[in-house]
Amino acid sequence: MGNAVKKSKDMTKTIERRFSFLRTLFAVLIALAIAFVLIATVSEKPLQDFITLLVGPLKNTSRMATIVSKAIPLLFTGTAVCLVYSCGQINIAAEGAFFGGAVAATCVAILPGIPPVIHIPLCAIAGGLAGAAVMGIPGILRVRYNVVTIVAALMINYVALYLGLYIILNPLRDPSAGFEASFLFSESALLPGLFGNQRIHLGLLVGLAAVVLGYWLLNHTAFGLQMRTVGENEKFATYSGMPVGKTIVFTSLISGFVAGVGGTMETLGNYQRFVYSGFTNHGWDGVMLAVLCHNDPKYIPVAVLFLAYIKTSADALNFSSKIPPEIISVIQAVIIIFVAAERFLAGWEHRSIVKHSKDAMSKGGAE
Amino acid sequence: MLSYIFSANFLDALLRMGTPLVFVGMAAVMGGKANILCVAYEGMMLFAALGGAIGSAYTQSLLAGAALGMAFSMAVAMIFAYFVLYLDTKPLLAGLALNTLGTGGTVYVVYLLTGMKLDTSSLPSLKFPAVDIPLIKDIPILGPILSGHNLMTYLAFLAVALVWFLLKKTRLGLRIQAVGQDAAAAASVGINVRKTKFIALTISSIFAAMGGMYMSMGYLPYFTANMTAGRGFIGIAAQNLAVGHPLWTMFFALLFGASMAVGNMAQSYRLPSQFAALMPYLITLIGLVIMGARSKKQDSLTAEAAMKLHTPAGAK
Repeated sequence: MGNAVKKSKDMTKTIERRFSFLRTLFAVLIALAIAFVLIATVSEKPLQDFITLLVGPLKNTSRMATIVSKAIPLLFTGTAVCLVYSCGQINIAAEGAFFGGAVAATCVAILPGIPPVIHIPLCAIAGGLAGAAVMGIPGILRVRYNVVTIVAALMINYVALYLGLYIILNPLRDPSAGFEASFLFSESALLPGLFGNQRIHLGLLVGLAAVVLGYWLLNHTAFGLQMRTVGENEKFATYSGMPVGKTIVFTSLISGFVAGVGGTMETLGNYQRFVYSGFTNHGWDGVMLAVLCHNDPKYIPVAVLFLAYIKTSADALNFSSKIPPEIISVIQAVIIIFVAAERFLAGWEHRSIVKHSKDAMSKGGAE
Repeated sequence: MLSYIFSANFLDALLRMGTPLVFVGMAAVMGGKANILCVAYEGMMLFAALGGAIGSAYTQSLLAGAALGMAFSMAVAMIFAYFVLYLDTKPLLAGLALNTLGTGGTVYVVYLLTGMKLDTSSLPSLKFPAVDIPLIKDIPILGPILSGHNLMTYLAFLAVALVWFLLKKTRLGLRIQAVGQDAAAAASVGINVRKTKFIALTISSIFAAMGGMYMSMGYLPYFTANMTAGRGFIGIAAQNLAVGHPLWTMFFALLFGASMAVGNMAQSYRLPSQFAALMPYLITLIGLVIMGARSKKQDSLTAEAAMKLHTPAGAK
């Protein structure tokens, strides 16, 4: 009998896991259906455009390179948000951390006369520290002054944005650029391309390393256990003697560092100078990725590939039919909202759990 | 610079900047009182701005445009409410998703209707009129200060009074606050929590819509992509600093409007405008820290007092 109960519990877990996957699948399907409707209304050749949306990115190697290139920054922000969310902190400052990281990296990257072996790591450290500061502040304010994390994070995003823009557009502005941009980066700070492709740069390796390190930190270290415990139940963590405040602050700093390095890699890998004039949305994408991955960095590469794929599709659509690439944000919105809807498909899930439990009970009774 | 700040021009600029912020601040007050963590005001404002512009362009009626703007904003609020209240989506995620929908969805609609991607300037949309108040407009000095502003500016101040009245003097307002303070307790005395939150969100969405429509039918004469530019978040900032009090929220919204006006002026003098732009956010952060520090001190004082009360005299 006891065995049957245990078995039924395991079964329940399996069903729950299966439904979490189903929810994601259905969310993607619903989003694609909506995308089809949207495309059909503005397109002269809807079917062809829909096919472009589905397989356009695979059309040639240049587009496939675009997928990887778009994936690189998302590896960083996705991991960063996974970490901070695992610790239960709704810290959405990854956007500001990414931007701040790019600005700080720019400050270092324009310095001349440093060999590349030192210059690139220096830029990354500067970017990481700036990111850590941006994301760390909401963490510190939360622990020290009880400020609601999400509000502080929203505010710090804009502070980082405008402070960064001030630095870029005043002391670092290159008047000879002809548009609002910083001085040129030194040759030695530019990231080398991989596989002979300039768009797939060193940031890919660093990003994958960030995912692996994030996964390891979260699942295989004592600190990771603390992070997850604080995230699950702060009171329990407090009563079992964990340093809750320290855990929150350090997690925020680490996440910010990762996001800041992401900003560094994206800027030094793709541009000759700092060119952003506003948010880049990589931080918000990180939030979406963390939701898709249930805060587990293990799934980040897959989710990132998916997101980079649909972003490339959108570009392809814009190229072939002039359909605005913003359509993709509608798809993103639909996916986030359905995946995050905990009671979406709940009736079905509940029924199948009940059915399995009943089966298990009747079998257990017969033994 | 100082002479500018004391001029009537500055007051005009302040009100131009402040009007949408006061509206969305009131939206945030309603959401905050019902204890709903809604960050979707940005999306509501964008859709309302678009709805107002296209509604008025196609019907050539200001009222119909306003109605469509509100309907768009309410639709966003309904989606938010359905997912948060019925499907247990985390409100933050639903809000972020709807903001994303706002930036992308509005561009899609603009493209669908005009074939352009950036704005609706090709549509003959209408603007809310400026209002000259009879008699008052003829008073020297005071006249130009009080009279001649956009209709929506006056409505914004009316909205503040309305929210204050609703929360202080009506059953509905008290219910919303009861639900916000302790949903379980409110439910136990027979208040329908979901329905109350739903109503609060609907009211919220109307204010957000007014703020959004001011952007496309007053501040500018047409809709442009992402024209709210974070104003929804400034509304949330004002509400947070004011701890949800409508009058103080208005005060902070206007203060933030003033700092935006100063920023615009700085830009025209080729001074760095970024510091003025970051002021609302920085002030909010500092304000929250000060409030947090104070309440923490109070907490520890109460805790100390409680300890004294509960420690038996002989236990030392």
